[in-house]
Order: sequence, then C-alpha cells, then structure tokens
Amino acid sequence: MRRKATRAAGSRRRLWLGLAFASPWLLGFVALVAGPILASGYYSFTDFNLFQSPTNVGFANYQELLHDERFGQALANTLILTVVGVPVSLMLALLLALALNLRVRGMPFYRAVVYLPTIVPIVVTTYVWRWLLNAQYGWINRLLGLVGLPQPSWLEDPAFTKPAVILIGLWTVGGTTVIYLAALKNVPQETYEAAAMDGAGPWQKFRAVTWPALSPVTLFQLIVGVIASLQLFTQPYLLAQNRLNGAAGGPDDSLLTYGMYVFQNAFVFLKMGYASALAWVLFLITMAVSAGLLLTSRRWVHYGN
Amino acid sequence: MGIKTTARYATVWAIVLGMAFPFLIMLSTALKGPNEIFAAPPKLLPHEWNFASFGDALNAMPFWRYLGNTLLVSGLCVVGSLISCPLVAYSLSKLHWPGRNVVLVLMLSTMMLPPQVTLVPLYLLWDKLGLVGTYLPLVIPSFLGTPFLIFMLRQFLMGVPDELLDAARLDGASELRVYASVVLPLARPALATVAVFQFVWSWTDFLNPLIYLNDSSQYTLSIGLYNFFSEHGVDWGPLMAASVMFTLPALVIFLLGQRHFVEGIATRGLK
Amino acid sequence: MYRRLRPIAAVAAAVLTAAVAACGGGGDTASGKTEVVFSYLWSGQEAAALEKVIADFNASQDKIVVKGVSSPDFQKQLTSMSSANGSFDISDNFGSGVGAWASKGILTPLDDFMKTDGYDTADFVPSAMNQMKYDGKTYSMPIALHTQLLMYNKKLFAEAGIDKAPVTVEEWAADIDKLTKRGADGTITQLGYANAEINTSLTTLGFMFGGSWDDAQGKPSPADPGVVAGTKFYADTIPGKYGVDKVRKFTSGFGEYQSAQNPFYTGKVATMIDGEWQSVFIKKFAPNLEWGVAPLPYPAAKPELAGTTQVTTSTLFIPKNAKHPKEAWTFMKYLLDKKSMLDFTLALGNLPARTSMVDDPGYAELPNFSAWLAAMKGSNAKSLASGPTAAQYAADLGTAFDDIAQLRKSPADALAGVADKAKKYAP
Repeated sequence: MRRKATRAAGSRRRLWLGLAFASPWLLGFVALVAGPILASGYYSFTDFNLFQSPTNVGFANYQELLHDERFGQALANTLILTVVGVPVSLMLALLLALALNLRVRGMPFYRAVVYLPTIVPIVVTTYVWRWLLNAQYGWINRLLGLVGLPQPSWLEDPAFTKPAVILIGLWTVGGTTVIYLAALKNVPQETYEAAAMDGAGPWQKFRAVTWPALSPVTLFQLIVGVIASLQLFTQPYLLAQNRLNGAAGGPDDSLLTYGMYVFQNAFVFLKMGYASALAWVLFLITMAVSAGLLLTSRRWVHYGN
Repeated sequence: MGIKTTARYATVWAIVLGMAFPFLIMLSTALKGPNEIFAAPPKLLPHEWNFASFGDALNAMPFWRYLGNTLLVSGLCVVGSLISCPLVAYSLSKLHWPGRNVVLVLMLSTMMLPPQVTLVPLYLLWDKLGLVGTYLPLVIPSFLGTPFLIFMLRQFLMGVPDELLDAARLDGASELRVYASVVLPLARPALATVAVFQFVWSWTDFLNPLIYLNDSSQYTLSIGLYNFFSEHGVDWGPLMAASVMFTLPALVIFLLGQRHFVEGIATRGLK
Repeated sequence: MYRRLRPIAAVAAAVLTAAVAACGGGGDTASGKTEVVFSYLWSGQEAAALEKVIADFNASQDKIVVKGVSSPDFQKQLTSMSSANGSFDISDNFGSGVGAWASKGILTPLDDFMKTDGYDTADFVPSAMNQMKYDGKTYSMPIALHTQLLMYNKKLFAEAGIDKAPVTVEEWAADIDKLTKRGADGTITQLGYANAEINTSLTTLGFMFGGSWDDAQGKPSPADPGVVAGTKFYADTIPGKYGVDKVRKFTSGFGEYQSAQNPFYTGKVATMIDGEWQSVFIKKFAPNLEWGVAPLPYPAAKPELAGTTQVTTSTLFIPKNAKHPKEAWTFMKYLLDKKSMLDFTLALGNLPARTSMVDDPGYAELPNFSAWLAAMKGSNAKSLASGPTAAQYAADLGTAFDDIAQLRKSPADALAGVADKAKKYAP
C-alpha cells in the first residue's frame, strides 16, 4: 500500500519535473505554433487587411482559390521545382558523397569545401548567382560558350528561371552530402568484401550493399527536402527582385512560388484572410505528400541488415 | 598507384573547384573596376586590383552598424538556445516522465510545419504585443527552444549512462543541481554544436528580419544587403564587395567550429 | 489568448531594450525636439539632394527635427505602415496610388490640418490635386510633377546619317531600324530604342497613339484601341523585328539605371522615352553625352496628337500610424512652400507642382529642361486615374506588358485579359 503510494507520488513528481524542464518548448509550442495554427484557420474564413478588423466571409477565400490563376501558377511552379529539384539534388549529393568517400588524402578539407556554401547567407548566395547567371557577362554562359553549348538568358527567359533556382540549390547540397557521407562510413566493410568474393562489380556492389544501407537516410532526406522545397521563398524572391522592390514574380511569373504568393498576399496586397487560406492549403499539401512518401517507402527502404 | 589514384584525385579536385568557383567570382568581381566588370568575355582575375568597391559599399550602407545589429541578434539567439534547448532535451531524455514521447513526436512533427502557416498570426501576435519593429520577434523564439537543436541534444544525452546521474541523485542533489553540475558539463561538445548552428541560422536569416524590422537603423546585414540591391540595383562591384564582407564572419565561425557542424549535420540524418 | 503573454513580453522587452540601448540603437533626441521620421523612396544622388532640404528645415526649427531615411522599397514602405508601431511620420509615393491606399484606411486625411491653418491649394496644378483626393477628402499633396519626352543620342544619330529627331512614329520606327546594329548571327550590339522602365514607357506609348487607360468614370479601359496600338508598336518595332531572345540577352547586360553604366549614356541605346530628371542625371553621370530631347512622336494620320505626354505626380503623405502627424504636417507645409519646392525640384531636376512656378528662371540652368516644362503645359498631357483599384490594375498591366514585350501574347489578347480581370474588381 504505502509503497504504491510513494511510487505514485514519485511518478507525479517526475511528471512535474519533466514538464517543468520541458516548459520552454511547451510554452513556445502553445504560443508560437498551436495558437497561430488555429488563428490562421480562423483568419482563413475572414476578410481583413490589418487596418480594418476581420469580417467573416465563410468559404469565400477558398472558393476564390479555385478561380485564381496566379494561385494555380504558384502551385505549379512549386511542384515543378520540387519534383525536379529534390531528386536531382539528392542524386548529386549521393554522387559527391561517393566521390568524397574514395580513399584520398585531405578528406576533412574537401568535406569542408563542399559544406561551405551552405553557411553563406542566402542573400549573398542568390546575388552571387544572379551575377554568375547574367546572360551577357556571367560566367555560367561563358563556360557554356567555351564548350559550344547554347547560352540562355537564365533570369529573363521563363523557361530557364526554374533551372536557375535548381542550379543554386545544387551549390548548397553540402548538408545532404555530409549526411550521406556519415551513412556511408557506417556501411560495414565486411559486406563489401563478401560481395567482392562473390565476384560483384562496382555497380552490383552499389545495388546490393550501398543502396540498401543508404535507403533509410534517403527517405529522411527526401521528406526533409520535399518539405523545404514546398516552402521555397528566399531564392526565387531575390531572383525576381527588381529596383525599388515592386511585387515581382519573375518573367511571366515563372519564379512565383507558393511561399512567395502567400507573402505577397499578406504583406503586399494586405489580403490577410486570403493569405491564411493559402497557407492552410499548403499545410494540407505538405502533410499529404509526407504521408504519401512514408507509405511508398515500404517498397524501397530497407531497415536493418 | 597510377591511373586509378590520379583519377580519384582528379574527381575530388574537380568537385572542390566547382564548389569554390562562385566564391572566386564573388571576390574577383569585388576587386574589379566598373569597366572590367562589364567586359565580354569576362576575365577570371582583375587586371588591375581595385578596392574602390569596398569603399563604395561601406559608404552606401552603415555596414558596421548592421554588423553590430546582426551580431547582437545572433548572439542573443545563441544565448537563448543554450538556455532553453538543453533543459528540454534533458527532460525528454533523462527524466522518465509519462507523456515525454508524445511531446517528442509532437516536437518532431512541428519541424514539418511550413512557416507560411504561422506567418500571418505570428505577425499579428507580435504586433498586438507592440513588438514589431524590435528584435524581440527574432530573439524570443530561441529562448523557447528549437526542435532540431533539442532533438540533436536529446540524441546526445540518450548516450549518457543513467548511473552517472543516479549517483549524483543518491548524494542528495536536486534535479536542477544534477542538471547543472553533471549534465551540462558532459554535454559541452553537443552544446558547442548547438551554438554554431544557431549562430549561422540567425546570421543568415532573411524572412524574419524582412518582416519584423522596420527602421533602417535596426537592419541586419541580410536586410542591409537586400536594401542595397533595391536601391542600387545591379551595381555589381559594390554588391559583391558587401557580399564578401558579409560572408567572412560566418566563414570564420565555420572554420573554428567545422567539426561541430559536420557532426551535428550527420546526426540529423542518422536517427 | 495573446493578452496573457503581455507580462512576459514586457519583462523580456525591458531586458532586451536595455541590451539594445547599450548597443546604441536609440532614436529620440536629447534636445527635447520632436523627431519626425521622413522615409523616402528616393536614393543615391536624389537622396543626397533631399537631405540638404531637410538640413535647411532643421536649421530653421527649434521644435521639430526631421530625420531623413532613404528606403527605396515599395514593399517595406507598406509593411511598415501596417503595424501598430509606425516607423515613419511622412513619406512619398506616386499620385496614381492615392485612391488605393486611402480606401484601405492607410493614410491620414489632411483636411483638418488644412482647415486649421487655412491652407490654400489653389496654386497647385489642378489635375495633380484631383489625383490626391478620394471620397471628397485630400490624402496626399503633390511635391513634383513629371512628364515624358523622347530623348536621343545626337552622336549616334549623326553616325546613322539622321539629321533631326523624328516627328511621327513612322519616322521614329525607320530611325530605330537605322540606329540598331547587329552582328552576323543577329546578336544586338546597339539598339535604336529601349524602355527606360517598361510600365511607364508602354503606358506612355498608349497615350501617344491616342489611347486612354481609364474611362470617363476612372475605371480601367485596357482594351481601348489606342492603347492596344501603342503597345503593339513596341512589340512590332523591337522584339518582333530583332528577336525576343536577342533583345532579352542584350538588355540583360544593361548597367544600373542611376549610374554611368546606364545603357543610354554608354551609347548602347539610341533613343528612349524618359522623364525630366534625366537632365540632372546626365549632368552628373555622363557630362560629355551629346543628347537631345524632342516631343513624343505621333501617328502621321493623327496630327492632333502632337505634344502628347504622360504626367505623373510625386506625392507626400502621412501614414495612419504616424507617431507625430501634426509635426509631419508642419514639415510637409515647409516642403510644399515655394522656396523649398524650388530647391527640391532644382536639385532633383523635377517639375514643380505649383502653376506659379512653371516659368521660374531658376530652371534655365538645367540642360534641355524647358522642353519637359513645356510638355506639362500642353493640352495633350495625360495621366492614369488614381482609383481604389489602381494598384491591382497596375500589377495586372505589368504582367500583360511583360507578355507583350516577350511576344508571348498579342497586345490585343494580353490587354483583353486585363480587361477580364478588371471586370471583377472594378465592375
């Protein structure tokens, strides 16, 4: 009896202690995450512009989405950037990791150089690439010209603005590369040796040993990458930026991402209600896509060995 | 030795050069005069070294003030994270209370939340509190813990044997004391990782200062540079010069804390 | 829900304000004067000129001190006006935007100030004053006007064997072709005409072809045949003739507008349509440029359109969240005063917004400036309406102009699309 009571008291004490130590984040969660999510849901059913108080408009904002051409364009741009950009950058990261995993001296140096672009302020990154991608004086076109390839107007031609964004993303692939590198180090050397005894070539070794070992990390990277790509804002925003900062979406709105469109509605057009509705749709899309990826992952992710 | 080794080094050096190339162009453009910048075809290195762009950039914006502002914000955020994150991580790893796993899952799932969802309500919240136009909306969140950093610390603390803590508890130490005198010193390397990550995030942040800072005397370097572009457009020389000066501090932090970055990033992928 | 957070925020605020103040982020003056923050969109040498006017005001004052902040950012300007804490007390924008902001409640109406002071607005250019009003109240004041004319590079004209500026658009088109130089593969090395800023240039072209961008009620009329013809002129004469890709590539290499690398100054572009400030810009950035200015060409079949120009207005306004609206009004009055308006417009090379100043001898010192002054007085001086939907309309026109310039859509289709959209927000 008494023992039970002390244990109950002990567990209550542990509960309070635990909550007390976790309280900063719990407070943050309530005030900066859960509260705002609910508030955003409420605002999405209203019409207001910061200066005048919200008026209830029912589903009008969501109905407007269906007729809004720029919403369609922003969603399509974002999906294209995600569907193309994320797999391409994962592939590049994997290739870089495999290359850096070769037996060469000075490994920490190479790794540092590859990781370095990810710590450059994103404003700097984007402006440097705007200059590199300049159609007339930029180095990308100069290099393309040297090998006899066509030299597009990257940032003026709507067909090339999205490749430009993806290209910038590839420069900052170092974080993903480092994660792959760490995973590669964890693949037991004996497995490779066993495969080599069976007469496996490099490709078979990759298929049978490396890839299965990397698949859980790949799933994680894929989800993180897709989520980040769906909220893409800064690079396209700064690539489309013009003098005096009028609201811009790049040539033919080809750089207008979903994140930019939410921002424009909220802070340029002052349509806070509509912006909230847009944000909620993005929220639902993000959850659906992540859930979808987790479901399909059963077919290609190998856990344990 | 021979061909295979040569090929290996060639591959690795090709990667290194590719990654370093934009840095090289940034620096060389900053050192070119206007006539050389607009030369077709462009030259790799400046024919004549011209430091005027740096002076122009320093004149066109209060660079040192922005640098101070950015250091202040980043510094406060680092302090915030170092206070809040280990507390929460300790709670989620070593205080075996019912419900801690629920909190952990909840926390990890907020990492999936697009920031756009909370953009409008958070702005209104800070506005109602009268804090738009101050640094508080940029700083306070770090005092309430950042999920990724908490998670990283939790993974680290999970590896600390319970016996170590129990020994201290048996000596009659309070939980706060155990935390302060046993856990924190043990977690020092992981805390260093937290600090460098938080620093670089705050240093490079763009969207939050863009929304919350109104007065140009408060701008961080990100917004200063952004403003420089909106004012001077494609004035490439000074723009690249300012970019070089803005990147250097992050570069120094990176070189000092390189190990922490790479380890921190690697744990993120290997749950 | 948020109210409960207030004490915590207050404590944190106190701590941090101390930290921030220690780092020298303070703002109010020690002398007990009220600080009025004047955030303006002007930048570079224009900002420097403006700072002189501000310094004169501060020297004349013992109650108010004005702090000028150059913030050339339309988005930031609006965001700053939408928080409870205003970051500036007075700012500037363009006349066509007054209605849009006034209808949203962003601007402080000036009528009460004017009534108290018995302020007389009769001397201000009437068409500009009309733009300042919304729903019977005055929300802004005009500080300067602008007109658009045809500027040309005399040296390039001589090289191409052209001895005078074009009078009709047909002559202009022929000149443009003579002034455009291309390599064997079509790569452009010199262009006969380029837009200084696409929206202003194309709306001006619409006026030049006898079009009107708004109907008599001030509602958008983007399908008007004249404006379609004007935008079509650009599409046919430049990208249609020399290739979208080639033009795009050539223009991507343009240097900064407000610098010696401006393509008109460097001789990359032979003619452009631009405003009177170029008189001061060229003096500073390209003093050796041989340039001329001429009335905008008109279609040969419509001689009654001779002397057409687009008039735009620079305005001053006080936002709703200004901390010191009364003091801001005092400063505004000072800027609108004849003497400071002359200083200001002379320094920036802008046209005055007061009718009594149009013939001021002071403007004679600016090269070619009189042509723009004259254009302002002509009967074919047109402007855009400043209705509540002007911002949305301008944004839609911007998209349509891009489509037209890139030949993605025919001018008629692109502008019909704008008309469809406009029906929704301005029925």
